[in-house]
Amino acid sequence: MRRAIALGSSAAALLLVLAACSTVGGGSTPSGNGASGSASCGSEDQQAAITEAVAGRTLKVGFTPPILSEFYTQVEKAAFNRMYELEECFGIKWEWSRQGALNDAHSGVEAVGIVENFISNDFDAVFVSSAAPHATMQEIYKAGSEAGVDFYQFNSTEELENPSQADDPTAGLYTISNIGYDDRWQSGYIAGQYLAGVLQGEGQIIQILGPSGSDWTKLRQQGFEAAISEYPGMTIVGSADGGYVRDKGLTAAQDLLTKFPDIAAIYGENEDMALGASQAIDLAGLKHWDGTEGIVTIGADGLISGMESIRQGKLTATVDVNSVDMGRTMIDTLFEHEILGMTVAQFIRIPTVVVDQTNVDWAEAKIAASQAGPGKY
Amino acid sequence: MASKPQSVGQVMRNAWERLLVDPTLGVISLLLIFALIAAFALPVFFGGNNIYNLVGASITVMILSIGMTVVLISGGIDLSVGAVMALCAGVAATVIKMGAPLIVAFIAAIIVGIAAGLLNGLFITRVGLPDFIATLAMMGFASGLLYIATQGVPIIGYMTGEYYMIGGLQPLFGPVTFPILVAIVLALVVGWVLARTRLGAHFFAAGSNAVAARQSGVPVRWVKTQAYVLSGTCAAIAGIILAGRNNNVPADLGTGYEIQAISAAIIGGASLMGGRGRVLGAVLGALTLALAINIINLAGVPSSYQKIVIGVILILAVIANYLSELARGATVRRKAKRLSSIAA
Repeated sequence: MRRAIALGSSAAALLLVLAACSTVGGGSTPSGNGASGSASCGSEDQQAAITEAVAGRTLKVGFTPPILSEFYTQVEKAAFNRMYELEECFGIKWEWSRQGALNDAHSGVEAVGIVENFISNDFDAVFVSSAAPHATMQEIYKAGSEAGVDFYQFNSTEELENPSQADDPTAGLYTISNIGYDDRWQSGYIAGQYLAGVLQGEGQIIQILGPSGSDWTKLRQQGFEAAISEYPGMTIVGSADGGYVRDKGLTAAQDLLTKFPDIAAIYGENEDMALGASQAIDLAGLKHWDGTEGIVTIGADGLISGMESIRQGKLTATVDVNSVDMGRTMIDTLFEHEILGMTVAQFIRIPTVVVDQTNVDWAEAKIAASQAGPGKY
Repeated sequence: MASKPQSVGQVMRNAWERLLVDPTLGVISLLLIFALIAAFALPVFFGGNNIYNLVGASITVMILSIGMTVVLISGGIDLSVGAVMALCAGVAATVIKMGAPLIVAFIAAIIVGIAAGLLNGLFITRVGLPDFIATLAMMGFASGLLYIATQGVPIIGYMTGEYYMIGGLQPLFGPVTFPILVAIVLALVVGWVLARTRLGAHFFAAGSNAVAARQSGVPVRWVKTQAYVLSGTCAAIAGIILAGRNNNVPADLGTGYEIQAISAAIIGGASLMGGRGRVLGAVLGALTLALAINIINLAGVPSSYQKIVIGVILILAVIANYLSELARGATVRRKAKRLSSIAA
């Protein structure tokens, strides 16, 4: 009984430690993104109790992004830093395996095979972000859960199909938790609101979207259109498929700029397509937004490579969907559930922010510090 | 001996027969139909920089499809062009980041492309692997190598002022960009090789009937290897240009390009059975694909229709090629009949 109380109070203490680590604009330990590796481990008693709960255990964890890209590398690196901190504090060991789809990021077929491999290789837990159909993945999670594997989705689109958690505690999902942001209101909507603010509610917009049928596209589009519909003076005049890549984003933007040379803004559903659109503006001899005139270009992701373009004025803004906090929160949630036995929230939403020239310094510094962190697995 | 002057009707008939048997008839027809539809339905089609943009967007696939056409003519298929292109783009970008001059980076990329093509050729002709399997393996190898080298993080920070020009983001003179110039030179050289040299004739012979070609003294294995080396070289050139156009080299840069290159070559009149194809057809095929996407974007058609349209274009092109084959057969039979009647 005393042991249970000690562990319970230690768990509560850990929560406080974890909460303290989530600082505004940092999502980090007091030392800042864990870059220096000197994490706060709480009091000596807390550290000893949690270390006892960990008991030197090794967690075998799978990581399945839909594709190996700059964004998911940032997420993984942030996760590594948090894993390193927890290892330093509490002696937990990690066995980490990353398997990302190489060829079919948009259908998710490869991801299904990867997750099935993780299940058959007795992993303790698997992080998944996949474009595979919701129902397919839930069936795999169900089967995996029965085999003793816990699933955590990250950067996913579960808000598209799940029922209300108020009516169903698990929200019809076979996951332990879903860590991410709401694509509608924390990405598409705030991008639309930003454009409306800069353009004072007036102007024509063209959109460069991801592949049709993509759940991310559907959700972000829903939010973006909701924001624009609040401003009668703003109109979305054209859309084209940029395939989530820069070259296609460039071609799509060139085509649309031919038809609509007088547009006020370009919304790129992700950052790479927005950067392609930015090149199209240069090639067409048009002007980038300089604070008073020109074309406003906004993307979404929050990549180190995009921050430089914001500084140069080639990209007006981007929705930073917070790869750093996402990676760290994934590991905290995993630790709380797998080691401390806590019931974690089915939906954990991390903060997102629109980054432009006014706040690019701290946004970039946060990612850069995470990238320079000591975690490596 | 002076040839007998032909009547106007005879000249017209000969021209018509030549057109009917031309492997590029299908793609020329498609391109004309599309351009006409676009010109009438979309006033903006000929406006602004649209044609210039359209050509710029087609260059990468165009260069890949030139190499692919030679491989198809020689009876093979190269599924690795997209991955090799991406790997070469990565090599060029990395070497530039290491501080080397552009020319060194480009030579390094081209050496990698040639090596990939040579390996493809050797695995097929010396080890005896089927073309499909050998190039599929190379696709995985090249793609995996780039993923390992980049850890999934796009290569950035290699762009220089000159590279913007090489990528076509700044024109050389007037509306002419460096990639357009490269594509024209490449098309002329490869077209000349195919039409005017012994090697070109060997490509066709190896693809039409490898056994007969071998018996006639054609070094079929070496000829096929050269076709793959050419394809690898084209992939390297396309990679160098795309790295300049794209401003970054993500690990998945080449995904899907092999299908586009094969599609462009097939639309341009090349046959999967070998022995047939033209560089001009590949160039027009790449333009047709870019034109279809351009029209879809300008017309505001949902992007989900893109794949359907490209599928329809492929089918129409194959049908046109089939009809052209029938016409060629009929023409050959007619000529043979005419000759036999003269002889009689």
